[in-house]
Amino acid sequence: MKTFIGKILIAFGMALCTVTAASAQCDSEQYSQKSLKALTPGFTFVKSYKIDGKNGVRKNIEYTCVFSKDTNYMIRIQGKDGEAKGIVATLFDQQRNELTTSYVSNKFYPGWTYKCKATGIYYLLFTFKDSESYCGAAVLGFRR
Amino acid sequence: MKKLYFVFTLVLLFGCGANEANTRESIDPPTDEQVEMPQISDDIVANIMQSIPSPIETSLLIKETGAPYNVSTLNDPNIMAAYNDSYRQALNLGVYSTDLGFANLYDKNQDVLNFLNAVKGLADKLGIGQFFDYKTIKELASSSGNVDKLLQLTQQNFEKINSHLNDQKRENLSILILTGGWTEALYLTTLIHQKTNNKKLKEKIGEQKVALDQILLVLDIYKTKPNFPGLIADLKELQKVYNRVEIKTSSGGKPVTKEVNGELVVEDATISQINIKDADVELITSLVKSIRNKIIK
Repeated sequence: MKTFIGKILIAFGMALCTVTAASAQCDSEQYSQKSLKALTPGFTFVKSYKIDGKNGVRKNIEYTCVFSKDTNYMIRIQGKDGEAKGIVATLFDQQRNELTTSYVSNKFYPGWTYKCKATGIYYLLFTFKDSESYCGAAVLGFRR
Repeated sequence: MKKLYFVFTLVLLFGCGANEANTRESIDPPTDEQVEMPQISDDIVANIMQSIPSPIETSLLIKETGAPYNVSTLNDPNIMAAYNDSYRQALNLGVYSTDLGFANLYDKNQDVLNFLNAVKGLADKLGIGQFFDYKTIKELASSSGNVDKLLQLTQQNFEKINSHLNDQKRENLSILILTGGWTEALYLTTLIHQKTNNKKLKEKIGEQKVALDQILLVLDIYKTKPNFPGLIADLKELQKVYNRVEIKTSSGGKPVTKEVNGELVVEDATISQINIKDADVELITSLVKSIRNKIIK
């Protein structure tokens, strides 16, 4: 009997571990695919960005970008909380001046389009606001 | 019974961790020579590489200028088998990926298939062929009108390859792929510019200064690896010319964000001007041709 209960407990423990590990992981690939579908026709996909906050341990996820003048860049975000909920994409120039953000007037926008007129390095910062999952992805598209 | 609870607790404590460790071990070990760990963090290296612009931006500009497609300017896909070490394979995987994107843009299906075979061949040799969705790309390329999907899929496949190489601590191959792709795109731009004297292409050549700086930042980390010093020296010669290129930025005030049909659209008043002398464009054209020839030979 003890052996039987033991086996059940061990199996339960292992199952619990599997579930915990699975829920802790952020499969950003699926959100990347969703973001891609949200890219407006005419924009060519160039890059995708993983937004994995490691269950809230990582507060900021920053990527460096090289943008070209006379090019429109579109960011599209999708997260585990549903659409862009809980994720904010903010763009900064090389001097760290904020250029735009996807969270305006208490609203999460699915992204933004930045009409770039100056070639250079930019910083794309993803942060979380009232997020439950800290998980998502974004894609970047361009159009001239 | 207490023993059973003890075993249960042990499973909970170490079971999850062991699972993670197993996942890590299951990653294929690097097949090329042992990579020396760079002193700079992996995240920083990955971030710099991620910042390097996709060659597709340049290729699309070439197409928009009305330049005709000429397959003879691209690397010959039939010589793929001659690239027999990981250094040359990675560089030429980048070259062929740009050529593949270029042929995609012009909807040249047979060439797409030829470059696809070259890309697949080199990716297989480097042990990363599994990330290339050859079957779907081949199906898409078999009929016309799938340009967007083809570009999207190939771009995604290369992202997976880069991510896998980074996980495997083989970033040295990732940067070679990116360098090969960037060099090919710049080579094609200079070639078309030589014929057309197009102002936009001239600007595009000039603004590659930013990308070159990023590429050299990463390549420098691997300067002790075989073959890297020669490539770095060549690119540093190019950088010397690029140091004379001026990207002048003038601020025009704060950017304005508007909501247009529920979308946020940002107009930035900051503009940049790219000042590059014709003589320097000629020098860049000649240097890039020489570097590209060394890569593809």
